Amino acid sequence: MPLKIGIPRALLYYYYYPMWKVYFRELGAEVVLSSFSTKGLLDKGLKCAVDEVCLPVKIAYGHVLDLLDKVDMIFMPRLVSVEKHEYICPKFLGFPDMVRCLDKLPPLIDVNINLYRKKWDAHNAVTKVGRLISGNYINIYTAYLRARKIQKIYFRLLHLGLTPDDALAILEDRVKKRPAQEAKEFTVALIGHPYNIYDRHISMNMIGRLSRMGAAVVTAERLPEKTVRSYAARLPKKLFWTLGQRMIGAAFHYLERPDICGIVHVAAFGCGPDSMTGELIERYARAAGMPFLNLTLDEHTGEAGIMTRLEAFLDMVRWRNMAAVGM
Amino acid sequence: MKGYLGIDVGSVSTNIVFLDEGGIIRESIYLRTQGRPIATVQKGLGKLKDRLPSNIKVRGAGATGSGRNLAGIVVGADAVKNEITAHAVAASILVPGVQTILEIGGQDSKIIVLRNGVVSDFAMNTVCAAGTGSFLDQQAARLNIAIEKFGEIALQSEAVVRIAGRCAVFAESDMVHKQQMGCSLPDILAGLCEALVRNYLNNVGKGKDILAPVVFQGGVAANAGMVRAFEKALGLSVLVPPYFDVMGAVGAALLAREAVARKGPSSFKGFGVSEACFKTGSFECAGCANLCEVVEIAEDGKVIARWGDRCGKWLNSVHREEKIS
Repeated sequence: MPLKIGIPRALLYYYYYPMWKVYFRELGAEVVLSSFSTKGLLDKGLKCAVDEVCLPVKIAYGHVLDLLDKVDMIFMPRLVSVEKHEYICPKFLGFPDMVRCLDKLPPLIDVNINLYRKKWDAHNAVTKVGRLISGNYINIYTAYLRARKIQKIYFRLLHLGLTPDDALAILEDRVKKRPAQEAKEFTVALIGHPYNIYDRHISMNMIGRLSRMGAAVVTAERLPEKTVRSYAARLPKKLFWTLGQRMIGAAFHYLERPDICGIVHVAAFGCGPDSMTGELIERYARAAGMPFLNLTLDEHTGEAGIMTRLEAFLDMVRWRNMAAVGM
Repeated sequence: MKGYLGIDVGSVSTNIVFLDEGGIIRESIYLRTQGRPIATVQKGLGKLKDRLPSNIKVRGAGATGSGRNLAGIVVGADAVKNEITAHAVAASILVPGVQTILEIGGQDSKIIVLRNGVVSDFAMNTVCAAGTGSFLDQQAARLNIAIEKFGEIALQSEAVVRIAGRCAVFAESDMVHKQQMGCSLPDILAGLCEALVRNYLNNVGKGKDILAPVVFQGGVAANAGMVRAFEKALGLSVLVPPYFDVMGAVGAALLAREAVARKGPSSFKGFGVSEACFKTGSFECAGCANLCEVVEIAEDGKVIARWGDRCGKWLNSVHREEKIS
């Protein structure tokens, strides 16, 4: 029976899952994902979580709990940095150690991923993971190359405007064609951490709702790394956080795009970097005259409050567009 | 007489207005919701019917406020809109040229910034309800003064005391402290008004460009102490329009007029709904781990709407002739 490796459907799953899935499969292991986020899963997470962490980490607890009896090992790298001279949020770094006290926890694969000094360190970390499963260095290396290739295709699909779910469906051959995009009244940019905006439970299916209310949605993941970086470089001082950089860079880019009618920033309650990026984006958006909405999500958030604000925001955008054409 | 009906079902009050075709407010009703939104809407409609001439014809109906979906289903509204849009529409028509709208209701407060007659920015209070009408209500009850008298007493203040307004719970303990120290009631009430205004401007009005003309509406605008505190803090004159307490409903009626012009005849069910028997209930759907609380509304024994589910299974289980939103 192949080794079962569990991956929580949380945090940077939305960026790096395709790569790790292929990597583990190539090495002969089976990958088991936790279920989609639900209220029950969040409740379970809340009971075990440290009280001071943010909502995404709380739900990540739920995902880990969901995997407990189903797998032989849980993959949870200790993410320190994924870009040179930048950091990932410290809560990510501490996450493997936070969950360690959970009962019945299978062994963790908690290798350090720290590319702060040089990018090549990624290779070392990946190899280290591979050696836990396989002794064959050649296999490990070819699996690594294949995983990287898949990751590139995945990012390309995201750049085409697919959501992680849709992109995965294509990668896994579940659908042949990319879903047809119907024409919408206008486009808004949704800026937020991938694990907030793409998690349908946490975000209350915000992308789906916006689209049902007549707005096409673009996100930061749609932009190539290079674009994001060059726009983020306009800040007088570089942000420490990789994810914050993405959000800022994407927001600055969308501020200049004439086809974008508004920016919605989604923050998680208790997220330190978000409170800062949100404020920064708001100031630049106001200076540029771009409609801006800041939404904060937490476990108590009722749908009604979010809906009222989204609805009012879209009304405002519509009203402005109508005034602009002189109706 | 023909006209449009606007209904605003809020946490504390339910307001109904009737606008004639020229947009003039013919009748307005302000009721306390008292936790029974459907019964209150029915009662309001019954009252409105008695006050209006018998040849009345409703050409459109709109609903807004936190209970807008409920009210929309009950009366068969043509427009169901959020309260931010409704307030902005009403103020921009009743007070031409308005640039800032301050609105404080029962449990929420908002600021709407308009430029050139178009909403350019807005904000609503977050989880914190400090600085809303409910808190003033509660404090008035604790001090055993009628809420209608609150503003009048606050205006008599000579030396306003400073009260910490960051949090309603702490504001209360601060008030108790000041009262035990021997400060006079008008000074404490005026201090409370200033604290609420400070909290509002820091929280809701954070970073917003507040330009004159400033309009103050919502139930709390009845409080003259609050108006004065706003004027003092902003250094601008603050206008409280007539019908300030039913502005949301006025906006809903105006939006209904627009909706009917766009889509044709109204789906308003008629004043008869005030006699119909509505029943609401909720159950927990066991379909998945989300355990959504599904609300069900029945009119004379027939289920007319369900909502509250995330997947849409129950929402779509009731056939609805047209989509409201």
